[in-house]
Amino acid sequence: MEGAAGREPGTTPRKRVVIALAFAVAIALGFVSCSESAELDAVIARGEIVWAADQEGGGPHVYPDPERGGRLAGFEVELAELLADEIGRKHGCTVRARFQQGQWDRLPLLLGRSADCVINGIELTPERRRDYRCSRAYYAYALQLIVGRDSSIRSLDDLARPGPRGDWKVGVLTGSAAEIAIRGRQGLAVECIGYDGTIDAMEQVAGRVLDATVQDDCIATFYADRFAGLRPAGRPFDGGFYTILTARDTPRLSEAIDEAISALLSDGRLKRLYDRWDMAGRQQELLLRSAGEIPPAPRSTLAEVIASTLPMLLKSAGMTVLLSCLSMPLAIAIGLSIAVGRLYGPAWLRPGLVLFVELVRGTPLMLQLYAIFFLLPKVGLALPAIVAAVAGLAINYSAYESEIYRAGLKAVPGGQLEAALSLGMTKWQALSRVVVPQAVRLVLPPVTSDFIALFKDTSVCSVITVMELTKRYSVLALTTGRIVELAAITAMLYLLMSWPLSILSRRFEHGREAQP
Amino acid sequence: MISVRSVRKLRGGVTALADVDLEVREGQVTAIVGPSGGGKSTLLRCLNALEPFDSGEIRIAGHVLSPGTARRAGDLVGLRRDVGMVFQQFNLFPHLSAIENVMLAPRVVLGRPRADAAELAASLLSRVGMRGFESARPATLSGGQQQRVAIARALAMGPRVMLFDEPTSALDPAMSREVVEVIVELAGSGQTMVVVSHDHALVARAAGHVVELEAGRVSRQGPVAEILGR
Repeated sequence: MEGAAGREPGTTPRKRVVIALAFAVAIALGFVSCSESAELDAVIARGEIVWAADQEGGGPHVYPDPERGGRLAGFEVELAELLADEIGRKHGCTVRARFQQGQWDRLPLLLGRSADCVINGIELTPERRRDYRCSRAYYAYALQLIVGRDSSIRSLDDLARPGPRGDWKVGVLTGSAAEIAIRGRQGLAVECIGYDGTIDAMEQVAGRVLDATVQDDCIATFYADRFAGLRPAGRPFDGGFYTILTARDTPRLSEAIDEAISALLSDGRLKRLYDRWDMAGRQQELLLRSAGEIPPAPRSTLAEVIASTLPMLLKSAGMTVLLSCLSMPLAIAIGLSIAVGRLYGPAWLRPGLVLFVELVRGTPLMLQLYAIFFLLPKVGLALPAIVAAVAGLAINYSAYESEIYRAGLKAVPGGQLEAALSLGMTKWQALSRVVVPQAVRLVLPPVTSDFIALFKDTSVCSVITVMELTKRYSVLALTTGRIVELAAITAMLYLLMSWPLSILSRRFEHGREAQP
Repeated sequence: MISVRSVRKLRGGVTALADVDLEVREGQVTAIVGPSGGGKSTLLRCLNALEPFDSGEIRIAGHVLSPGTARRAGDLVGLRRDVGMVFQQFNLFPHLSAIENVMLAPRVVLGRPRADAAELAASLLSRVGMRGFESARPATLSGGQQQRVAIARALAMGPRVMLFDEPTSALDPAMSREVVEVIVELAGSGQTMVVVSHDHALVARAAGHVVELEAGRVSRQGPVAEILGR
């Protein structure tokens, strides 16, 4: 009995995690199961159908039109209005279309919460047929390879042999049919890089960071003028359909949308819409075929999903560890230098350092990563995504570390510096041998806790195409449809990785308390 | 060895030192006494340029200090190698052991090899009665022990002049006695020293010459027996 009681404190923290984790999963599950999607009746009663899209995805789908004061434009904006009209007419009432912004690869997650349907160039795939209700097709697309005007790539076949810089770097929209097509195609010497927006990838081809990008043909046409330095390579390939997604539990809403699309198709309103947007290629005749031609993908068991996704999750967890372990030491070195410069450096240096700290602390990490990855190539400095990510994290965290070290340096009594100077040391020797070592010891606990924070902030790096753990999770969750289960596994991986750091931090703190 | 000529210093509009003159010959031990706020510590800190002064001149151990010297950091290293300082609050480096405290400056400033510096430090610790405490951290030592390590640390640079700033004021009488013994032993060995102190026992036993500062002026000076005896 005594022995068991003695072991109790040792097992408590582990128990606490399990309980916390179980809680998190329960809340997530509750969220999914309790939310009830708005059926057709609710839409009619509201007089409003909410459609989700990502304006970052750009034209011709949905984009803020600078010529109309940033108001949303795009053929899908007009399509949503036509659909709302048609549904209203059919049910003898007025239905308006309201736009809901979301991140493209996570738009389906809004269904049943803040959106009734998703209209945003969502390609009809077996996985989507399995996880959501897919409307009949409203547009037939094909994929187009796009390269720089002076590129040696003539067609997709040229990607079979490595280029002068090794594997060709090809950018795609994360979660898009283009990504599936490029990743799934055998015999390509290609490194496929996922972007959150379509324009980002084209920018990077123009900036020579990427060798090529694969886009839906309507996007390639729409941006042909803006990206004059780019050209299509070869004929369009691997076509498919755009579909409107609705939640599984709204069959009648889905049916109403199908009917509305059919009406728009048969009376020519859809064709006129595509004519106006210069999107009415002959392939649109394919729309008359039925969505049922693509059968839904079979649902895998949880064990199969875990077996197939865990290796990829672990690999991406490795990327998370790599990013953290490279950027934190850099952040500490830069932060300490800033702190020493501000407290002991020459007076002319200080305003610059203060400005740097305030600028970095006052702007979001995501924006800084964006600037480093997407803007620096415009002035000729194209950094690989991982280097940009490490640099961005290090710079961002250096501002916070510098404040911690400044407090630490100030906490070292002034007599220490005087004593060192009175022994004949230069200021630099006194700082590096006497003052800084004491400050570093003082601030170990807050710095360790910042390391844990940085560790989790690495997930922001997905905006610049780094495939770390969170990004990998969101991609896998969408392709497998196991959103909650994979979230639990991912959370567990993060916990397993940050746990040792927490223990370390607590040990430092105890170590300090033990000192008189 | 030390010659202070007409040194003046204002601090915040108040006169801290007013035309101070002072002579200390080689091997002489001079005590600076007087009421609090009289300028004793200020004068001492001017002697190794921890504080600047406004006019006058200080010659010490072959170095010449003028107003503004404390701002030219490069020149100060040589001065401070030749002038050791012991503080009221000891100011030992808490992240280093006793022997590392003593070894640090010889290694960093003089570039002496580790073994050399360790040998020197061990002999100095033994000289101040701290043999056996080599690996002790300052926080585990009593105030008297810490002050003795601080004296060893200053001696490690082989200074020609030692300055003491109220070396026993932060200590209780028993600990104070340990430190006084060390300073008296140093005085006996011919070390040139300037001691700022209120401690009657310390001044009476260690000093040969006494200077009294009042309101930044030398109010009296002379042999210890003459000043203290009255």
